[in-house]
Formats: sequence, C-alpha cells, structure tokens
Amino acid sequence: MPPRFFLASPWVRAASPWVYFTRPFQNWIETDGFAGNIRLDGNSPPTYLFMDMIDSLSPDDSGSAPALEPMAMVALDAGRMLMEAGANANSIDEIVTKVARGLGADRVDLRIGYASLAITIGIGANGITRMREVGHLGVNQRLDQELWHLAARVSRGELNVDQTRAELTRLAAKTPRHSAWVMAVAVGLACAAFGRLLKVDWAGTGPVFLAAGIGQFARRELLGRHTNVFVCAAFVAFLSSLLGGLGAHLLHSETVTVAMIASILLLVPGIPCVNAQSDILDGHPTLGSARAVTVAVLLIFVAAGLWLAQVVVERTVGI
Amino acid sequence: MDLTYLFHPEPAHPLFFFLHQIICGAVAAMGFGVLFNISFRSLPWCALTGGLALAVRSYCLSYLGWNLEGSSFAAALIVSSAVVVLRTHVKVSQNALDVVGCIPMVPGKFAAQAILGMFALTSTDPDHATETLTVAVQYTLRVMFTIGAIGTGLAIPALMRRVRVSR
Repeated sequence: MPPRFFLASPWVRAASPWVYFTRPFQNWIETDGFAGNIRLDGNSPPTYLFMDMIDSLSPDDSGSAPALEPMAMVALDAGRMLMEAGANANSIDEIVTKVARGLGADRVDLRIGYASLAITIGIGANGITRMREVGHLGVNQRLDQELWHLAARVSRGELNVDQTRAELTRLAAKTPRHSAWVMAVAVGLACAAFGRLLKVDWAGTGPVFLAAGIGQFARRELLGRHTNVFVCAAFVAFLSSLLGGLGAHLLHSETVTVAMIASILLLVPGIPCVNAQSDILDGHPTLGSARAVTVAVLLIFVAAGLWLAQVVVERTVGI
Repeated sequence: MDLTYLFHPEPAHPLFFFLHQIICGAVAAMGFGVLFNISFRSLPWCALTGGLALAVRSYCLSYLGWNLEGSSFAAALIVSSAVVVLRTHVKVSQNALDVVGCIPMVPGKFAAQAILGMFALTSTDPDHATETLTVAVQYTLRVMFTIGAIGTGLAIPALMRRVRVSR
C-alpha cells in the first residue's frame, strides 16, 4: 500500500480512471447544499464542512483547492482600502481581480456598493461569496499607488495569502501622509489662488488664505474625532467663510462675498464628483448615483454653513 | 515703474492676465494635490495639469469667445488627453491627476450663489422673487452644465483607451 500522501497527490488522482468516471457527478455533489460548503475528501461519501469551520482548514484538507476564505477576504480588503483611498469602481474591480487571481482564484465576480463590497471567488467546482463593509470614502493617492504596486506583485505570483495580508496591514499603518501644517498651508494657498480666479481682490486674498488654512485644521481635527462628515462640512464652511468674510472686511476688500465663497472651496468634493460620473459611464449606475446623492447632500450642508456665516457677517458688520 | 496695475483685480495687460490665470490654476492644483496626499515629487505634475487647464480655458474664453461650459469642456478634454499621454511617467493615478487639474475650473462661485439664491427665495417675504428665482435657476443650470462638461471631457479619453475585458 503506497503512503497516503502519494495517493492524495494530484498526479495520481489525475491518472486514476476512477476520477474520470466520477467527474460528471462531482458537479452536483459539490454544489449540493449551498454554494461554499467544501467537501473534505473526493473519494469518501460526501462530508461537508460548513462555512464557519473553513478558517481551520489547511489547504491540503480541501482536496486540490487552497482555502478560499482567506483569499476572498484578502482580495476584499485590498478593494476596501482602495475604495477608501478614493478610487473609482473600475480600478477597484481591476485590483480585486488581480489580487484574487494572483492568489490562485479561477473566477472572480465583484459587486461594488457604496458602503460594502461583495465578492464571489471560485476554484474549480468550489466557490464562496463573502461581503465586507467599506468605511468613510476619503482620498489618499499614495495609498492608492502602493495598492497598485502590491496588486502587480501579487498578480506576478510573488506573494502568498499571508504575505499579502501582512503587506496590506503594513500599508494601512505606514503609508505616509502630509503633516497637518503642510496641508493647512497648501489648502490655504489653493483657496487663495482659487479666489484670485474668482476675481477676489488682493486685499481679500490674504484672509482667504488664513481662513482656508484654519478651516483645514478644523476639518482634520473633527474628522480625527469621527465627527459626521456632513456636520463637519457645515461647521468648517461656517468657520472658514466667517473668518474669510470678516478678514476681508477688516482689510477693506471690495469683494467680501466672493472672499467668503473662496474660503470654503477646500470643501469641494472633486474626487467623489468625478467618480460619480465615471462610475455611471463605466456601468455602475447604483454606485455612481449613491456618490452623486452624497455630493449633493454635502453641498447643501456646506451651503447651510455659508449662509449662516453670511447672516452673521451681515448682522455684525452690515455688508 | 508703476506696479499698481499688477494688483488690480482685472489685470490690464492680456498677457499678464493669461499668466496670472495659469499660475493661479497651478497653485490651486498643487494645493489640492497635497490635500489628496500626492507625494511632493509628483506635485509638479499637478501644477502642470492645473496650469494647462486654466491656459486652455482662458484662451477659449477670451480669445475664441466661447462660453464657460464649452471652454471648460475643451480644457478638461485636453488635460485628460495629456494625462493619458503622460501616464507612464507620472506615479499618480490618472483619475486623481485629472481631477486635480480640473478642480480650479469648478464654478464654485456660481454654485454658492445658486444655493444662496434658493435660500433667499424661501424667506417669508422675498424681495424681487421672480428675479431671484431666475438668477438662481440660471446659476444652477450653469453649474450643472459646467460640471457635466468637465466630467464628460475628463471621461472621454479614458473611456476611449479602456477595453473592457469580459471574464
């Protein structure tokens, strides 16, 4: 009697006529019950291993298929991080597919929602469907780039599931961000330049710079404390436009109203707005419309903050 | 030498006005690039796209006499095509570079005035209700058309390049 590992090796199984005889029936045996249950051993009577137990499977136990569960979760995590870094549906689809196929999946199907991702991956006759929640959709280009590099490495077969997971964890923790000061100065400069494009006079440009910088500080602080995004936007709009308007008035600017508007342009949701359109054009109308509605509601909150600041400025300095 | 004309809201010399628009577009694009966490090494590319966008838009607006929507469309189309051409050299996703370049063209003033006009209409006794409504609707439409034009201009080159692979 040859040793068990020899009988279990794929070549021996492929060479055995028994496999060809039973293959037509395997399809219904393996998809019997609900999809995702993995049969332990191809030759014994069907023994199902239910989903909760899949974590404890080592790849050898599930016959020829490596464990699908960790593969699906790692691919979903890559997609989730990319989505939270501000990617559009097409990129997420591409990355998740690359990662899952690189880790060994034969079939990958992804559903991208606004707040969740669902994936079905399969190897041979086995397949599972898993879902993962997506958090706040921000913008982080460096993380986006790192994820593309990682996906390229995975698709070349350089990393296995555990290494990919470790790499994702490292990226989530270690990808550098610009410091709060750099961001405040950059956003201040951007809004001041934006103000010049909207024909704010030079006296109003300095206050716009300061107000937008302070607004960016406040936004970072509030979002760090997990304040609701919409409330945060309304507050920052109020603060920045109030400071911008009062400052421009004090410096005798003739374009106080436009200076107030320029101070809140840091809140323009540019990436979600363009993603909404590109998602609809790429055939993801549900995600695209969800993004568009979010953008519209965000703009209403920003306008509410601006309106309140205008009322305050009118009452205090009477413009 | 009298330099006061440089600080006039509407710069007198057309060339100076043109340069002013380009520099402001570049600075705004770089600022938003930092906000999007683009690395310092890639920021010059952001400045380039922002400057290019504003150059094209200003040229179409002032020299060709186009309206804002058409000019924004042309600028977005050219920026997006440039980004497609440059994509192998720049370590930033194409999507982000497009957006960063086009953000300085977002009609923020119109958007704010449109929404504030709507707010003004809902007060109990609005003055000049018809005029306020007309102006607010005009602004709203201009904002929608301009943003739509920018979005379409950005999407076209990327869509043309992409081949959808069925799995």
